[in-house]
Amino acid sequence: EESEISEGALVRDVLYACQGIDGRYVKFEKELDGFIVDEAFRVPRATRMLVRKLCEVGWLFRKVQQHIDESIKQGHMEEIGTVGQAFCASLQEELSDYYRLIAVLEAQVHNPIPLMSVGNKVENYLSLRRLLVWLAEPLVRMRLLAVLVDDCKGLKGGAMAGAIHMHAQHGAPIVRSIMARLLVRVCSPLFEMVRRWVLEGELDDIYEEFFVVGHPVKAEALWREGYRLQSGMLPSFIPESLAQRILRTGKSINFLRVCCDDHGWAEAARDAVAAASNSGNRGGLGYGETEALEVMVVEAARKIDGHVLKIMYDQYRLRDHCLAIKRYLLLGQGDFIQYLMDLVGPDLSQPANTVSSFKLAGLLESAIRASNAQYDEGEILDRLRVKMMPYNDGDRGWDVFSLEYILRDPLNTIFTEAVMANYLKVFNFLWRLKRVEHALSATWQTMKPNCSLARLFTSSGSAEKSQVAAILRRCQTLRNEMNHFVTNLQYYIMFEVLEYSWAKFLEEMEDAQDLDDLIAAHERYLTSIIEKSLLGERSKLLCKTLCSLFDLILRFRALADRLYENARAVQARSDSSLRKKLERELFLSNTSRKAASMDFTVEFLKGMGDEMDGVAAEYSSLFEGFIAQLPVQQHVDLKFLSFRLDFSEFYIRQHMNMSTAPL
Amino acid sequence: GNKGVPSDTFSMTDLNRAIGIYAPSVQELLLIDDLLYAMVGIEGKYISFQKGKSKENTWNFQIDPSMDLSLQESAKRLLPLCECYSIVSQFTESRSHFEYGLVNHALAAAFRAILQDYHALVAQLEHQFRLGRLALQGLWFYCQPMMGAMQALTNVVLKASEGSLSGAAILNLLENQAAAIAGDSAARSLLQKLSQFASAPYLGILERWVYEGVIDDPYGEFFIDENKALQKESLSQDLNATYWQQRYSLKHELPGFLSNAAETILTTGKYLNAMRECGHNAKISFSDDMKGLGSGTRHYLERINVAYNFASAELLDLITQKFDLMGRLRSVKHYFLVDQGDLLVHFMDIAKDELAKRPSTISVEKLQSLLDLALRTSIAASDPYNEDLLCNVEKVSLLKQLENLQKMGFGGFAKTQKSEDANSLELSSGQTTSGIITGLETFTLDYKVQWPLTLVISRKALMKYQLIFRLLFHCKHVERQLCGTWQVHQATRGLRFIGTSMPRSYVLCQRMLHFTQTFVHYLTFEVIEPNWHVMHGKLQAVKSIDEVIYQHDYFLDKCLKECVLLWPQIFKKVEKLKAICLQYATATQWLIPSMSAPDLNSSDSAGVKSSNSGTSNRFTRNRYNDDQARTAFNSSDEATFRTTISKIGEEFDKELNKLLLLLTTESQTDPYLAHLAHGLYGVGKDI
Repeated sequence: EESEISEGALVRDVLYACQGIDGRYVKFEKELDGFIVDEAFRVPRATRMLVRKLCEVGWLFRKVQQHIDESIKQGHMEEIGTVGQAFCASLQEELSDYYRLIAVLEAQVHNPIPLMSVGNKVENYLSLRRLLVWLAEPLVRMRLLAVLVDDCKGLKGGAMAGAIHMHAQHGAPIVRSIMARLLVRVCSPLFEMVRRWVLEGELDDIYEEFFVVGHPVKAEALWREGYRLQSGMLPSFIPESLAQRILRTGKSINFLRVCCDDHGWAEAARDAVAAASNSGNRGGLGYGETEALEVMVVEAARKIDGHVLKIMYDQYRLRDHCLAIKRYLLLGQGDFIQYLMDLVGPDLSQPANTVSSFKLAGLLESAIRASNAQYDEGEILDRLRVKMMPYNDGDRGWDVFSLEYILRDPLNTIFTEAVMANYLKVFNFLWRLKRVEHALSATWQTMKPNCSLARLFTSSGSAEKSQVAAILRRCQTLRNEMNHFVTNLQYYIMFEVLEYSWAKFLEEMEDAQDLDDLIAAHERYLTSIIEKSLLGERSKLLCKTLCSLFDLILRFRALADRLYENARAVQARSDSSLRKKLERELFLSNTSRKAASMDFTVEFLKGMGDEMDGVAAEYSSLFEGFIAQLPVQQHVDLKFLSFRLDFSEFYIRQHMNMSTAPL
Repeated sequence: GNKGVPSDTFSMTDLNRAIGIYAPSVQELLLIDDLLYAMVGIEGKYISFQKGKSKENTWNFQIDPSMDLSLQESAKRLLPLCECYSIVSQFTESRSHFEYGLVNHALAAAFRAILQDYHALVAQLEHQFRLGRLALQGLWFYCQPMMGAMQALTNVVLKASEGSLSGAAILNLLENQAAAIAGDSAARSLLQKLSQFASAPYLGILERWVYEGVIDDPYGEFFIDENKALQKESLSQDLNATYWQQRYSLKHELPGFLSNAAETILTTGKYLNAMRECGHNAKISFSDDMKGLGSGTRHYLERINVAYNFASAELLDLITQKFDLMGRLRSVKHYFLVDQGDLLVHFMDIAKDELAKRPSTISVEKLQSLLDLALRTSIAASDPYNEDLLCNVEKVSLLKQLENLQKMGFGGFAKTQKSEDANSLELSSGQTTSGIITGLETFTLDYKVQWPLTLVISRKALMKYQLIFRLLFHCKHVERQLCGTWQVHQATRGLRFIGTSMPRSYVLCQRMLHFTQTFVHYLTFEVIEPNWHVMHGKLQAVKSIDEVIYQHDYFLDKCLKECVLLWPQIFKKVEKLKAICLQYATATQWLIPSMSAPDLNSSDSAGVKSSNSGTSNRFTRNRYNDDQARTAFNSSDEATFRTTISKIGEEFDKELNKLLLLLTTESQTDPYLAHLAHGLYGVGKDI
């Protein structure tokens, strides 16, 4: 083999190697993963090492070049996405700088050294050591590019921009300047996407690179589920909060467009751009100008969110609807509810399958006509419907009846089905409470002519008299106790819970900056109602006790009705018998009549008394359980309830007596 | 003729031959070629080297021993340069990696620039050599300037890699090295240049902190440490109020040139950060040429001061204007320092029964609703912040709490008491004997404070307010009880009391009232009001929020001290006196009606027309003759009453005298106690 290789030849080969091309002597060696002088040639060790050192840049270049080739390959272009394309383009640009340098060096290989004294052997200008000087800076660059290429493999879009951004945190000025140049180019598609999204609501992202992703959903779910942040694609130089804001702004535009059929947002967006550029930034977005981005996004968000809220309040009358729901579903309109209860009561006592919803709808209509609700606007009243829930065997009309309030686009973004289901739950509870209260009042009406009843029995013997008086008294006190409980519970729910939550909700509605705030405020409102009126998850047990208390009260009502009905029958009979007695005083023996009525009364009274005792015992045990469970609850307001229910500390004392001195 | 020989041909035969076989002139040429390789860290034919085994940064060089001896020696002179190159270049490569931090990156970049010069030098030497103009002596001469520089760099590198330094430590190292070789102006200016390069990214971080209040420090090099675990919300819970002090703190390693301004820098950023937390983005508007901190000269100290003044003025403005600091303080004063008494009186009236219970059985919700009621019906209704007032019931009495604080060594409570251990023991035993404590002793107010006002009204400050409030509250309670006794006394005025112990009781009651009222007067008019006035005045002229915090804390501490809360001995005496007063009030309110009760019966039985109500009795009483009146006090009750009164009276005198003595002695060191002593002299009988 040729033993002597001129340095010039080696220099030429090194320059080839720097472009990733095998030369005559310097070749890429796969096992060593680098360019070396072919072993076949005898070259001094020092030269070999120097060549190897110089060729590192070639190795790095190969890597970068390979990445670019792979990315640019047809069909692959789509996969890497716009950010990847921008990355490749800027790599190309960096490389073209590098090519220019190599070309200059190449040209100099053949230039002889400008010699002062002629006569010596002609030397080539470029030696290997000289190359070391020339290639030092490209080496740094190329190393950086190779690292970037390595780190960006398999990434795309925002993730890639983030990965590149991580490398920009470097102290060396040269690295910084390269990275800054690179990042501006790489991120420009991303910022363009942000701009389009924030100002036009267009998700201009065919390669799924953007950190906002859209899902095709129905209009009412558009706000909640239509768009999401994809944290993987969020570059670290955009803070999470800003990303949220970006997401929401675009979402607002889409919401306006799809759900509200509104076009006023375009003006708002234009205003935002104008305002952003007025505040010192020229509206140009790019890497490193996070502030400009923030200013623009904040401005746009403010304008567009303001617009959304305005549309919601003015065009779709959110406030009115909330109020209407409160008035009708949460029983705020008392006279209407009273009428309705009176009207539908008889129907609802029938078995559920015989109740006609058409008839109920008619009754609802007449309840509206008869109450102050008639002055409400037709638009709102039209939305109020009767709803019959699916029923099981043995259900009464009471169990399946409910009211519903129909809301359409775009308000169903706030009042989703889940929300309406919650309202329904609250309505059912309130309706039940109202019914119990109603029942107790009705009982009071039947009990009222107590005196005449009591007088009836004065004519009877003293033992009987005392028995009757006792049972009537019993009935009265029990009703009073129940009434105390129901009234206070109702007071608590209507005023402490509903009104308080409503006031708070109004306040928050006033403060809301965007639709998310509004939804959150409404959600808080509803949750606070549910939690405080014992319908929440945590108070299930309590709610169950409450329901059985209600059932018991209804049972008591039936019992009391029966008692008074019978008593009245007896009274009627005795009235008539009294008359008869007067008529035929002489004919009938007084004792026999008396005995007959006595028999009936004693037996009946005994049965009644036992039943009454049973109800009373069950009631007091249930009630005690209820009171005892109340303090366990988290809400402060519930403490107020227990404080009210047991204002005179009667129950506590009773409880203490029971526990300290057991029988 | 043969000068060009080694340069362009590499003969196979050369490789195996020792250098010794050539003539010295050829040897010299071969050696120069090898040295040029060694200078860029590549082993040549005759010079080989490897890394030293014993130490990290040393290299062992071997020169072919067959070489001409004089050539060997002159080659050895150049070897240190080669070693330095290897060390520096290795350092440069390794420190460019990301984990070493920005300062190291910048330093490595500066090194790289110097190495580039060095490479250029080598290339030029080679050029000369190829031209046949370079001899070994010439090589030595040309390398001279580089040698000094490389040596200086090597020193830096060795020190830096020894401690694997980064950040401020590197900057300090460069400064120190530059100072250490101040005599060598070339090396010194080199090092100064290096330090300028290296500090550029550091100053970038500094700039963001000072101008924006943001720590943008990916590698943890900056000298300000952010404790992310401390949230601003902690200010409303943490008793020690550490947020403001410890959220941002200085690290140990400061860059020397900034050490004077470090505190200013810290506070500047802290202020800016606090504003950012309030959602208020304030920017310093500098002209662009002013903004750059890293311009190399030391103008930055001036600029830091400008930034500081801006930040402190802005934050102060924000807190006083937007968050209405003075209004808040005034509101807090209304409630905690009781400067609007009607609220308290009304509250005490309606919450009397609830407060008389034991602390564990008191319903705080009930108290809260009563307090709200009192708030709405008193002058406090006009206070815009009255919704933020809460109430609370502590578990222990005021004495006990002070004692606990003292044990914890909390704030100003530790320093005034050194030899008090015996006392505190006695104190706690006294506590247990005094029996059950009621809500009256443990009731306290609380206040909702929002960020950023928590900076000033922190939990710690609130606790001090609470201590003062509890003292005032209890004093008021005592006073009210004594007034109750006075009312009972009024009911007996129509009776014949000459010869009974009633006059003594009247006198004692008056003296006790005098005592409590003097004490309350002292607390409110001689301590709180003047101090508040002073603070108020000073707060008008403050420059920064730190001053506000200082003035406010100073005010509270002064009040605490002058309210004798920090004087356990005096405070205990006062508590004792109050206890005696309460005892007296209870005794009289219990005994006097029982003494006069039989009288009502007797007068009824005597058939005199009078109604059963006490008030009409009082008017009709005058008409009764002495005998009837004399029977008003039945003798056995009268006897117990007499003994009780005289016992309580004696005890009161005793304690009061002790207190006066104590005050007189202590007032020599702390003049404000003299005011109290002076006021109380009137109560004392025979001092």
